[in-house]
Amino acid sequence: MTRLELLLALGCAVLVVGLVAHLLARDLVRRVVALNVASAGVMIVLLVLATRGTEPDPVAQALVLTGIVIMAAITGLALALVRRVEAPEDEEAP
Amino acid sequence: MSPASVLDVVLAAAVLAVALVAVLLPSRRGAVSAFLVLGVVLAVLWARLDAPDIALAEAALGSGVAGALLMDTLTADPARPGRRAGRTAVVVGLLAGAVALAALTVVVRAVPDEPSLLPAAVAEEIHGAGADHAVTAVLLNFRSLDTLLEAAVLVFAAAGAGALVRTPVRAPDPVPAPVTALARVLLPALVLLGTWLLLAGTSRPGGAFQAGAMFAGALVVAFVAGARFAASQGTAARAWTVAGVLAFVALAAGTAMLGQGWLVLDPRWAGAAVLTVETVLAVSIGVGLAQVFVANSEARRVPS
Repeated sequence: MTRLELLLALGCAVLVVGLVAHLLARDLVRRVVALNVASAGVMIVLLVLATRGTEPDPVAQALVLTGIVIMAAITGLALALVRRVEAPEDEEAP
Repeated sequence: MSPASVLDVVLAAAVLAVALVAVLLPSRRGAVSAFLVLGVVLAVLWARLDAPDIALAEAALGSGVAGALLMDTLTADPARPGRRAGRTAVVVGLLAGAVALAALTVVVRAVPDEPSLLPAAVAEEIHGAGADHAVTAVLLNFRSLDTLLEAAVLVFAAAGAGALVRTPVRAPDPVPAPVTALARVLLPALVLLGTWLLLAGTSRPGGAFQAGAMFAGALVVAFVAGARFAASQGTAARAWTVAGVLAFVALAAGTAMLGQGWLVLDPRWAGAAVLTVETVLAVSIGVGLAQVFVANSEARRVPS
């Protein structure tokens, strides 16, 4: 098994683990964490594909860099929604 | 491609194990802690994959900013018990996951083990691109439309999080003395580090995103330490949040009307344009992410 095959399989596995957990988790914060895990899987696949030549592929790396910023922003928005959903007044509502 | 070394196998096993722990632990505290550990293991993997820019961004944003947001959520409400999915849902989910994994593995194995043509194309065009570092040149010149839209996503996230706040934002008061002392040390260091990352980004790993994360960190530290300017959600903060997109759109409109087309930079002034947009973008990302954090800390408060 080459390094490329091993790490590509790892990326797919991490993506699927994150996605399944994201869909199954009931707790909202754990759902956000699982989505972050899934995005790490996608990043692994892209960055492994970027190492196929003698020099790393800057286009794929830039794409992942953009993805990291978007993931941080989405995590922030999702957590703000979680807090609003779980705010005290909403729990008292029937 | 070289065969997998022992280090690769160990690293892959560690990433998968930590990812599983992060999603399987029932408590919020455990899941968030495991996610932070995952960030550290991933940083080692990025280093193995020749991606120092990604390692920097992962440390600053993936673990730094996202970690701070997650930890802050835990502090606000640590004792919420985890609920579990029903048995049928778990079985269906695991089956669907197995099928998806098999399909994905087949697809990625079909990708040819040949180098992509893009690195050579980037190396050919990089003179006159405005930045000597390939990743920065791609982000702010060759694929700048991606970066423009990414800055727009950040604006939407900040606006969305801000819309959830129902009470006027207040800086924490009173602030414990150690926090103030720590902020006095951290603030100048973070601003200096952010500025260095910004300027270094044209010739080596670094750039607007990592610098923006440092500025966001500085603003969050200032907010936690009770600084009123960091708690502001007023016009200035909003203006800075959209400034990155606006600067990019202005550049796009300028090049479309006066130059050779949308976001086509002339080699004569590409360097100045890239550095200007990068600087505005870094401050904009910093303020935007800090706004998301401030909105988070207030989203739970009910108007009295």
